[in-house]
Amino acid sequence: MIHLIAEVLDKQIVDKRSRQAGRADGIVIELREGQPPLVVAVEVSPITLLARFNRRLASWYARWDARLGHGRGTPFRIPWRALDRTGLDLRVDFDAEDTPINAFEKWLRQRIVERIPGS
Amino acid sequence: MKGKQLLQIALGIVTSVGGFLEIGSITTAAQAGAAFGYQLTWSVIIGTLCIAFLIEMSGRFAACSKHTIPDAMRERFGANAFSIPLIVMLSVSLLVMAAEMGGFAAALELATSVKFPFWAVPAAFVSWFVLWRASFGMIENGVCLLGLVTVVFAVAAVKAGPDYGALARGALPTLPHTSPAHYWFVAVSVLGASVSPYLYYFYSSGAIEEHWDKSYLGVNRWVAGIGMGFGGFLSLAILVLAAVLFHPNGQDVGSYRDLPELVTPILGRPGFWLFVASLAIACFGATLEIALSLAYLVAQGFGWQWGEDLPPRADARFALMYTLLIAAAALFVLFGADPLKLTQISMALTSASLPLGVLPFLVLMNDRRYLGEHVNGHIGNAIVLSISVMAMVLAVVSIPLELIGGGG
Repeated sequence: MIHLIAEVLDKQIVDKRSRQAGRADGIVIELREGQPPLVVAVEVSPITLLARFNRRLASWYARWDARLGHGRGTPFRIPWRALDRTGLDLRVDFDAEDTPINAFEKWLRQRIVERIPGS
Repeated sequence: MKGKQLLQIALGIVTSVGGFLEIGSITTAAQAGAAFGYQLTWSVIIGTLCIAFLIEMSGRFAACSKHTIPDAMRERFGANAFSIPLIVMLSVSLLVMAAEMGGFAAALELATSVKFPFWAVPAAFVSWFVLWRASFGMIENGVCLLGLVTVVFAVAAVKAGPDYGALARGALPTLPHTSPAHYWFVAVSVLGASVSPYLYYFYSSGAIEEHWDKSYLGVNRWVAGIGMGFGGFLSLAILVLAAVLFHPNGQDVGSYRDLPELVTPILGRPGFWLFVASLAIACFGATLEIALSLAYLVAQGFGWQWGEDLPPRADARFALMYTLLIAAAALFVLFGADPLKLTQISMALTSASLPLGVLPFLVLMNDRRYLGEHVNGHIGNAIVLSISVMAMVLAVVSIPLELIGGGG
């Protein structure tokens, strides 16, 4: 028995290098006929987060995000089975650097921060 | 208690005292003393009491739950509810930060006679550079140790020969004899200056940066109680100086250029330079603390990588956040926003918005899932709740009255 809102939604996600990798911005549930609903994944994305405030804002952001490359424009999903929920934070067994979670962080680092002395 | 813990307590107290004063507490205490003598002493005392409790709570929260406050707020209340304190804190604290940077620039003006807006860019650059390069410990211990120069106010206050009887009587709240609207407005500004939310948010992130656990609960209690207590004592010293030197002549604190007169009649020319150093260091330290505190707030709220001990390339969004905030605050100074007016407005707004940050924090402090057996007691809850709600009510009533009265 797990309380999805209290124990999963908005929790910190930590990647395999123990670095903060966003928060559980949304939970994906599959509705199945004749069977109980199934929790499929957790979404980590500004698109999902914005949709909780305003759907139009979220779709506007998604259209802009889609221009940034393949696989963008839709929220990044972490399969439910890949989440380790035993600790203080939600842990995943991948490096956030290789996912869209850190796309903006990476862009900022390479294009701006690393060009400033002392970074 | 072990030697190492004693050292931590000593260092913690020293940095709390050195970091307590900033443009808000200096100017509001001076205005209180100048306009009402010793009568507003109570506002400094209850403001200090409230921040001491809040600081103790935020340290205890971090040590027990391993969460910072913004982290737990987003987790416990969800993104929608969290967005309210996030937006309010960002906007109000940005104004406070602009006032602090303005105070730093004003100190440089007093030292050089070059007008303060010219100091906006150098002040912003130095603040940014320190955050970019220095570690958390260097900022906390270095800047706050330098801040001990503010002890000059206590020395001057004792030498000024205050009326200790009147000071003691001022510790109990009384109704104003004259100009009631202004009285409550100044009281609200004093409260806002003492109970700045950035202080306890900063403290909880600091406790996480320094890997506190439950063994720090004792250290935390001593540092919060004694450190904040001595800090409040320095605010009181400023109120006393204004009550002795400004109040009898009906002299008002109309400009930051009046502020050195708090100490020069007593300590002479060295007093002037000690005042300038105090103002510069106190405001510079507060600028750094607010910039970090707000960057922590945003980064933790969104779950980004954060940490002042990491190089900027390891937490690019966090580093960009404080960079942008410093630039935004510098614009106020560059365009000549008067540091004293900005301080008054931002301190009153801090009071008005106090419960928005304090109430959700109190809910967290009573949640056993985070604190286990270390949840708040009734006394802590009652003190913090009543002071912050009172500050808000007084602010909502007195700000419009002060504006109608022409800020007199």
